Amino acid sequence: MSTYVLEGLRPWVIQRVSAVYITLFMFYLLYCGFSAQSTGFEAWRGWLFQPLNSVGMALFVLATLFHAWIGMRDVILDYIHNIMLRILLLALIAGTLVGSGLWAFRALLLTVAG
Amino acid sequence: MRTRQRPIYLNLLQIRLPIMGVISLAHRASGVLLFLAIPYAVYLLGLSVTSATDYDAVIQQLQQPWLQLLLLVLTWGLAHHLFAGIRFLLIDADIGVQKSSARLGAWGVIAAEIVVVALVAWRCWP
Repeated sequence: MSTYVLEGLRPWVIQRVSAVYITLFMFYLLYCGFSAQSTGFEAWRGWLFQPLNSVGMALFVLATLFHAWIGMRDVILDYIHNIMLRILLLALIAGTLVGSGLWAFRALLLTVAG
Repeated sequence: MRTRQRPIYLNLLQIRLPIMGVISLAHRASGVLLFLAIPYAVYLLGLSVTSATDYDAVIQQLQQPWLQLLLLVLTWGLAHHLFAGIRFLLIDADIGVQKSSARLGAWGVIAAEIVVVALVAWRCWP
């Protein structure tokens, strides 16, 4: 099959680069969470409003979606051998990830605009 | 000439997977678990930035006992996926490839995730 999205070495590289970014950003999130002066809605929105944080979050969402897609794709290709079921599951996963991504970007945009 | 049938023996209950294999399998399992949690996490993110009332609703929801049990499972999934993932990245960099150090690294991953899950359970359990 040559129609699969992302073939060869590229997904291997994307998986590792996204993993490193996700790891670093999660430690940054933990640091911000523990060092926050105040909690609650206003503080949370204020934090997300910071350009570095909202852009960092958007990148985090993107990295997570790519990472999850490559990982789930590998799992499906390894264990599901029925071609129709494989296509169905891959489509479901891709749909879930794209939908989640758009939902997250909408939330981030609303925060920055509002 | 007929091709000889090779013996196939794949009784999963009788295969004694080495600790590195268990880590690798659990890395996949936790990855699938985390994928399943993505839509819910995004839903909570969207709700949390909508209004102060919705933010409080998210906090309230996260404090439900039955959900906290699920969150603890997800905490394990995240901790395992993170630590095992760091171990795999180190192996990519040729660190911890030898059998003894690979086994040591695998036990290190298990120790680290136990510490994280225990800390979260201790700090966040009602």
